[in-house]
Amino acid sequence: MRVLVVEDDEGIAAGLAAHLGRAGHAVDCLPSLAGAWNALATEPYEVVLLDLGLADGDGSELLRRLRAVPAGRLPDPATPVLIMTARDQVASRIAGLDLGADDYLTKPFDPDELAARMRALRRRQAGRAQPTLRYGEIEIDPAARTVRRAGTPVEVSTREFSVLLALVEARPHVLSRPQLEAKLYNFDSVLESNAIEVHVHRLRRKLGEGLIRTVRGVGYYVPGEPPA
Amino acid sequence: MSAARPPDGAGSLRLRSLGGACPVNAARGPSLTRHLLAWVLGALTLVWATFIVFGYQTGEHEADELTDGHLASVSALLLPLAPRGLTPEVILPPAQSPHELKAHDYQRSISVVLWDAAGRVLARTGDAPPPPFASADGFATLELGDPPQPWRAFSRWDEGRRHRLMVLLSQRERDDLAADIAGQVVEPGLWLLPVVALVLGLAIHRGLRPLRKLAQQVHALDTQEAQKIEDGVRFQELAANVDAINRLVERYHAALTRERALANEFAHELRTPLASLALQARSAREAPAGPAREQALGRLEEDALRAGEVLAHLLALARASRAELHEAAQPLDLDALARRVVSEFAPHAHAGGRELGLSSPGPFPLSGHPVLLELALRNLVQNALAHTPRGTQVEVELDPAARALQVADDGQQHGGAPGEAAAPLQPLRLGLGHRVVEKVAALHGATFEPGVALPDARRAWRIRFAAGS
Repeated sequence: MRVLVVEDDEGIAAGLAAHLGRAGHAVDCLPSLAGAWNALATEPYEVVLLDLGLADGDGSELLRRLRAVPAGRLPDPATPVLIMTARDQVASRIAGLDLGADDYLTKPFDPDELAARMRALRRRQAGRAQPTLRYGEIEIDPAARTVRRAGTPVEVSTREFSVLLALVEARPHVLSRPQLEAKLYNFDSVLESNAIEVHVHRLRRKLGEGLIRTVRGVGYYVPGEPPA
Repeated sequence: MSAARPPDGAGSLRLRSLGGACPVNAARGPSLTRHLLAWVLGALTLVWATFIVFGYQTGEHEADELTDGHLASVSALLLPLAPRGLTPEVILPPAQSPHELKAHDYQRSISVVLWDAAGRVLARTGDAPPPPFASADGFATLELGDPPQPWRAFSRWDEGRRHRLMVLLSQRERDDLAADIAGQVVEPGLWLLPVVALVLGLAIHRGLRPLRKLAQQVHALDTQEAQKIEDGVRFQELAANVDAINRLVERYHAALTRERALANEFAHELRTPLASLALQARSAREAPAGPAREQALGRLEEDALRAGEVLAHLLALARASRAELHEAAQPLDLDALARRVVSEFAPHAHAGGRELGLSSPGPFPLSGHPVLLELALRNLVQNALAHTPRGTQVEVELDPAARALQVADDGQQHGGAPGEAAAPLQPLRLGLGHRVVEKVAALHGATFEPGVALPDARRAWRIRFAAGS
C-alpha cells in the first residue's frame, strides 16, 4: 500500500516509516502542508496519515482542499485519510470526521492498531467487509500478510504479497507497471526496471501460471473469475 | 490556574441545564410573579380598604344629613297644620304600628309630638317614648324610654310660639339606614376585588413574559459555543442585563478558548513524544541489531527526555496559581537568573550556529516565583534559538529601570529557513512556549509582548513587570 505520512515530528515520521515499511507498505513522509499537497498531486496514495498540528498550518486545511478537488485526476479526492493527532476531545474528532476524514486516531497509538485501521480503510475502499480475500483456491490475509493455496501456506516476500494483493483487489482491471510500482515503492526507493516482472514471475511459480495474466505492452491483471 | 485542566471542566459557568432549556433553579427561590402580585394586591387592598372606610363614613354622613333633613321637612310640613287640622282625632294613636304602613325600604318610622305653649301634648304619633317638653330647639339626640334608647329629634315652635312640634326618629333606624347606604356603596367593591386580583395576576404574568423569555434564553445559552443572546430586547430595564450577560459569555468564552488552546498545545507536546516513543520502541523491538536499532533507541531516549520536559512545564504551571504565587513569591535577582540561563544555553547555541549573549546593567530585584520565571526565560531563549537561522545573534536584555526583560534576535537579517536546532534545544512549539510565558507573566501581574519590532530588523519578546513588583 502506498502511504503518505504528513507529520512534522521526525520521531513519529521515522517510526511510522520504519514500521509500515516492515509491513510492506511504501511510505513517503512529508512534514509540511505544501509538500504533502505536491505529493498528492503527483502520486496516487492509497491512504494518507495526517497530523493536524503542522508547522506551516493545520492538517485539516489539507483535508478540506483534498475533498474539494474535482474527481478524475490527482490529487484524488476519494483518497482515504486517517487523522492522527494529539487532540483527543470529542469535538475535535467530530470536526475531523465531518471534514471528510475516514478515521481518527489519537496519539499516542499502538502501531498495530494503526495498521488494522489502515487495512479497514482499504477494505472499505475496495467495497468488501471480509478481512480475508478469496480467489479460487487462493486465500489472502492482509492482516497476517499470509497467502494460502488450497489451505497450504505459501511463502511470499513482502513485495510479492503487495503485488498479489494489488492485482487481486483490482481484478479484473489491468494494472500497468507504473501503477504497480507506485503502490510498492516510495520516492526514495531505487527501482530496477524489471522489478515488477520478477515479482510476477515468482508469484506465478508459487501460485500457478494462470493466476496473473499479462497484457503485452500494458500490464498485468487477475481475471474476474478464477479458472475452473 | 492549571494549564492541564481539561477545558470542559474549566470554570463553571455552564448555563445549560441537563434537562434542556428548563430553568435549573426554577423550584428554588420565590416567584417574581407571585412577589409582584402580592405587592400589587397588597397595595390594591390598602386602597380598597381606604375606599371602604371612606365610603362607609360618607354613607353614614349622608344618612345623617338625609334623616336630619327628613325630620326638618316633616316638622316644616306639619307645624303649619297644627293650629287647624293636626288634632288628636286625625293623628294615629301610638298603639297603631307604623310598620303596617311601610311601603319602601328607606321609609323610616317617624314619631311626631305636638305641644301647646304650656307643654301639654296635643298630639303624638309613632313609636317614640314621650320626650320631655323642656328640651332644646333644633336637632338633638335624646335618650328616651326605659331602658334609654337614643332618638334623633328635631323640635321647633310655630311663628306665634303657640305650638311646639317635635319630630323623632330612632337612632338605631338611622344607623341601619347609614349602614345600608354605606353597604350599597362598598358591596360592589367587595365582589370586584377577587376579579380585579385575577385580572391583575394575568396582566402581571403577561407583562413579565419578556423576563421569562430572557430567563429561558439565558438558561439555554451554551457558553461552550460562545452563544450570546441575539434576540433584540425591547425593554431598557432588560437591555443592561442582556449586555452584561453577553459580555460575560464573551469573556468566559475567550478564557475558555485560551485554556482549550493551551490544553491542546500541551496535549500535542506531550502526546507527540509519547507516540514517537511507542513507534521507536516497536522499531527497537522488531529491527535487527545494528544501526537501525541503535537509532531507534537513541530516539527513544530523546523522546523520553522531551516528554519529561513538557511534563515539568505542565507541573510547574499546574502548581502555580495566583494565590500560591502570592504566598510563594520571594525576592530574587532577575539578572542572576538570566546569567544562569544564558550560561547554560550558550554552548548549545554556539554548537547550533547561533550566538547567545546577555545585556544587563546590573541587579534587577524582583518579587516573584524563581522557578516559573526561569521557565519563561528558558522558553523564550529556546524559541529564539530554535526558530531563527544559523548566524543569528540572540540577546537576553534586562532593563531594571523600565522593569522589562526581553529576548531579542536579529534572525530577520539572516533570512532563509530557520536552521535545525541542536538536539538539547528541541523547543516547545512556538505557540506553546509563548503561552507558557504569557501565563507566567500573567501570574506575576506582568504583560507579555511578543514580536516587538526593534531597530535594525531585530525583534524582541518582552515581559514587562509592573512597577514595584
